[in-house]
Amino acid sequence: MTRVKMLMGLAAVAVGVGLWFALTAPPDALQGEYSRLLGIHPPAMWVAFIAFGVTALGSIMWLVKKAERWDRLAAASVEVGIIFTAIGLFTGMVWGQAVWGTPWDWQDPRLMSTAVMFFVYLGYLALRNAIDDPTIRARRSAILGTIAVVQVPLVYFSVNLFRTLHQGPSIRPDGSTMPDEMLIAMLVNMGALMVVYLALMVARLDVARTEAAAAPESAIAGEAVRPPRLNEVEDV
Amino acid sequence: MSETVVVAGTYLISYTLILGYAVYLHIRRRRTER
Repeated sequence: MTRVKMLMGLAAVAVGVGLWFALTAPPDALQGEYSRLLGIHPPAMWVAFIAFGVTALGSIMWLVKKAERWDRLAAASVEVGIIFTAIGLFTGMVWGQAVWGTPWDWQDPRLMSTAVMFFVYLGYLALRNAIDDPTIRARRSAILGTIAVVQVPLVYFSVNLFRTLHQGPSIRPDGSTMPDEMLIAMLVNMGALMVVYLALMVARLDVARTEAAAAPESAIAGEAVRPPRLNEVEDV
Repeated sequence: MSETVVVAGTYLISYTLILGYAVYLHIRRRRTER
């Protein structure tokens, strides 16, 4: 069994355990069943924050070491981070509709900063697709990946810095604001989504390595190697 | 729509997105290997 398949199997088991905790935790007195979204919404956003942190790490390491593997790590983590941010935004909108009566507020700092972060990292992928030269692509992506990570603390602390519909952090230095059953369910799901993140990262890095091995000439020679045009071919 | 259906649907859509990405990576790797 390959490493990817093993990790995917482990991730499936972790998700199963996480779902069991999320669906058996007692419902909230005010929010009812909607409180079960604790098992997906905050964990997805935390994993997205970690993913973008890994991208920043990979970007800084590429700028220092100029090794291709750091560029691949940064790019892979952005892709996976975007998936988790999309899930965080979607589940947040469902929860918002249930609790606030609206899925979105265009003037809310937490919601808007998360959306901006989502689109900046989509822009990171667009930047990578726009550049053919692997070294230029890696350098420009590394600069963006290093700068873009400032959004993570901005999104996280936006609930403390600004007036927002979104509640403040549930886990504070002086303890948690929720019952133990809910807290445990959330933390178990956080662990489960971390395993999912690891499995997706290993699979994505595997794809990147396979693609790099399949096209070594174009990756190294770039513009210097191109097929002859038909009008340049002489009869033999 | 009942609360349970909304919550179950939200989980279903979220994990389908993750599963879809995993399948996409698998297909992309298989196509590159060929």
